[in-house]
Amino acid sequence: MFKAKRRTVVTVTGVAAVLVAAALAVTFLTQGNNASANSDNTVEYQAGHRPLAPDFTASSLTGTTIKLSSYLGKTVVLNFWGSWCPPCRDEAPTLAVLAEQYKSQGVAFLGDDVADTPANALAFTQKVGITYPSINDPGYAIVQKFSQVAPVSDTPTTVVIDKTGHVVGMVLGTITYGQMATLLRDAAVTQ
Amino acid sequence: MTDIHTPQSESVAKDEATPSFGENKTEAAGSGIGQTVRPATQPPDANAGWLRWGWRQLTSMRTALILLFLLALGSIPGSVLPQEGSDPSSVQQYFTAHPALAPWLNRLGLFNVFATPWYAAVYLLLFASLVGCVVPRTFRLVGTARTPPPRAPRNLARLPQSSSYSSALSPAAAVDGAAAVLGGQRFRLRRSPADGTEHWVSAEKGYLREVGNLLFHLSLLGVLLSIAAGGLFGYKADKLLVEGQTFSNTVSALDEFHPGRLVSGSDLAPFSLTLNNFTAQYVESGQSTGQPSNFEADVTYASSPGAKPGSYRIRINDPLSVDSLKVYLIGHGYAPEFKVTGANGQVAYQEATPFIPASTSTFLSDGVVKAPDASLGFMGVFVPTALPVNGTLESIFPADDNPAVSLIGYSGNLGMNSALSQSVYQLDTTGMTKISGSPHLMQPGQTWTLPGGKGSITFVGVKQWVSLAITYDPGQVPALVCGILALAGLLISFFVRRRRVFVRAVPAASGTGSVVTVGGLTRSDASGGFEEEFAELATEIAAAEPGGSSFPGETKPMDKS
Repeated sequence: MFKAKRRTVVTVTGVAAVLVAAALAVTFLTQGNNASANSDNTVEYQAGHRPLAPDFTASSLTGTTIKLSSYLGKTVVLNFWGSWCPPCRDEAPTLAVLAEQYKSQGVAFLGDDVADTPANALAFTQKVGITYPSINDPGYAIVQKFSQVAPVSDTPTTVVIDKTGHVVGMVLGTITYGQMATLLRDAAVTQ
Repeated sequence: MTDIHTPQSESVAKDEATPSFGENKTEAAGSGIGQTVRPATQPPDANAGWLRWGWRQLTSMRTALILLFLLALGSIPGSVLPQEGSDPSSVQQYFTAHPALAPWLNRLGLFNVFATPWYAAVYLLLFASLVGCVVPRTFRLVGTARTPPPRAPRNLARLPQSSSYSSALSPAAAVDGAAAVLGGQRFRLRRSPADGTEHWVSAEKGYLREVGNLLFHLSLLGVLLSIAAGGLFGYKADKLLVEGQTFSNTVSALDEFHPGRLVSGSDLAPFSLTLNNFTAQYVESGQSTGQPSNFEADVTYASSPGAKPGSYRIRINDPLSVDSLKVYLIGHGYAPEFKVTGANGQVAYQEATPFIPASTSTFLSDGVVKAPDASLGFMGVFVPTALPVNGTLESIFPADDNPAVSLIGYSGNLGMNSALSQSVYQLDTTGMTKISGSPHLMQPGQTWTLPGGKGSITFVGVKQWVSLAITYDPGQVPALVCGILALAGLLISFFVRRRRVFVRAVPAASGTGSVVTVGGLTRSDASGGFEEEFAELATEIAAAEPGGSSFPGETKPMDKS
């Protein structure tokens, strides 16, 4: 009887060990960091479950002060970009068009220029015709503030914030006109 | 796997009536798991048997040793060849230097050994082997530690140590006295049945040995789990930072990020760090001229946004510790600062641009300057201490004593308005034309006015950059603690000996009093001294007789021949 009990213990521990090894194998062989992104690289929160965007005060590329909470009452499109980043340059004309089109609908566009210098960034925005302001964020401070609600894993990333200051969703990578139009339509439905 | 018991004494084992320390039949010597008496190499005939046989093979000490050897063997290329994770630029250099060999090594994953499936397979098998061995063994050790002493053998004279004396007391009283002495010395006792005809007491001491053994095995498991925790919840990252720049610890800010399998971007500690100044000192004379003598990076850091900033001087092997993270200084280089003005007269680029050292002895470095909004790009070679040799720019010393840069200019489309990313260290000249006058040599403060009204480039000055390695390993401290505990357990199990003493009393032939025999044995006596301890104990038991101090009979160490 004692032997049978011991055999059970050994079997159970053996099975447990194999399971631990298998679990480790699975985690090793698969990428564990799947973002809850859709196939088109958008992440969207349902109205009522949107996290609150962190407020910040920062300097723009031209030295003016930008405070996120001063945009309450407007939908905000916050684009994390850099003039050194080809996909950011690629999507910039689309953003410039969207900013003009949605201006009358109470949508404010805002850039967050990372790992860059104001000289490089302004040369680009002037060339491409972007008129909305960008935050001078060479050290990724604003990105870090957003890490809990909208983790920016790469540049560019574009976050849409509704009129109440909650994060509607984000596009990881280059945006398309359609993706932004969808997010901005959904942003109109506030919680 | 780990059997730190010594084999039982043959001379004791031959006495069937004598309970030896190896009496537990599950404790098969030499077998890692030791759960059955079947030899590990005997293949069974059924499928389930094959599985059991495979499991026993995996958890045998031999397999564990082979896997450990393979793990060590697999780590060699990781330390000999440059690794993607820690030094990607050296990997590129290796590819350039060995164009035929490098692709083959890459196919085998030898430039990222610790992330290859074959390395993970060895690690996982070793993990399974050790867990499969240690867990059952731990249960068995708990059982051993809780087992009461065995019955006293019938013939104590056959034990390795024995002595006898005559007592005036009855057998029961004599055994009672002996039990009192042994109990006083903190032996665990087992008495003969009160209603029986035999009178004996078994005593055992040295359970600390099993505790040490148990501690060793549990700590070994702890080490394994700590390493696993480090692999699952830890991360490593690299960041290149130019003097005066700040970075916040986020995934997109990092140049390289190697997270554990259960780490997400939002798990990163929210610290930020500014590189205020970097100083490198080099040997200025003698045979070691140009060799580095000291590196120091003065940084300001904050453990979270808004936290009180602190200052630290990071040196080689003296990392900054912030919020359970360690920030190591692993490399450095030069970042010449340029200002590029376009054809329209507006500044299109102004930045200190990191150049990558092509030679660590002279710090001759390569880099590119991209000013896409002025349609200008430059490939450059930077030399910290310039010396023109036969029309070629050479560096004779790694310090920036006489910095100069040689630029080859290009104008046209840099291909940067594309959805595809581009390396910041490479210039795509496909859609560009070379500017006449290239290469152009410049020193700090000088401006090259480009021909054809294309603009100009000014070499503003020189800054330095550092490469920082950020590591978070939550398993490091637990692994160290478990390692120390494992060592302590091992020492305890080596130096504490488990010993048994038996006392048996029979009525004397004369009809009054009794003959008391004391016997003793120990499983291992690595540290020696059991013979003396037994002799003292036997004397004490005899001397404890009320009113009598009968001399014990001849103490007889067992003849081992």
